[in-house]
Amino acid sequence: MTSAPLQTDQQGLDVRSRFATSKVNPRDVLLFPDGLPGYETTKEFVLLDVPEQAPLKVLHAVNGSDTCFLVVDPKAVLPTYRCELGSSDRLRLGTDDDHTLVWLAIVIVSDNGEVAVNLRAPIVINPARMTGRQVMPNACVYPLRFVIGQ
Amino acid sequence: MLVFTRRRHETIMIGDGIEVRVLRVGRDGVRLGIVAPPEVPVHRQEIYNQIRDANRSAADTPHAVSAIAERLRRHT
Repeated sequence: MTSAPLQTDQQGLDVRSRFATSKVNPRDVLLFPDGLPGYETTKEFVLLDVPEQAPLKVLHAVNGSDTCFLVVDPKAVLPTYRCELGSSDRLRLGTDDDHTLVWLAIVIVSDNGEVAVNLRAPIVINPARMTGRQVMPNACVYPLRFVIGQ
Repeated sequence: MLVFTRRRHETIMIGDGIEVRVLRVGRDGVRLGIVAPPEVPVHRQEIYNQIRDANRSAADTPHAVSAIAERLRRHT
């Protein structure tokens, strides 16, 4: 992984990832209070949208970490996708209206080139509070690795 | 580690609001019922570990982002 360190100036934050170079406004920073499983201390991310990489987006850390994930709207992968949030997730996201939430699934590329999407534990963002969380609903029926065909 | 002996239908209280009840004891497993306040997440540990491992694989995704995007576009 070879991201350049984060630079700050009056225009905002420069985020240079392996996937994109973007200038982001500090107001666009999303807080993940619990980090993500495996990245518990990484709590601030931005969501980078590079049109030529659609439907992919990049969830990139901005706290000096170069951690980043390729993410995609799970409905773009599986149009019928629907997951029910648990009460602790809803509380932590600070919402009682699921319709305003943004759902993203992390893309996993194996060493053999297989592309899969994690539909079991999606990332859910509450734009009203700029807060996010990777959830693992107990009733979720989708696989951890939903493989995308060749 | 605290160790308790519990029989079927007996419980353990953790703090003010978390109750762990033994529902059934089988040969290969114990069925537990958990009552916890809504703000406390409850997960099977192996699920958390699987998601952690998947996240680590995902963060190591190689450069071929255009090819991945193309594959997703073809899929949709």
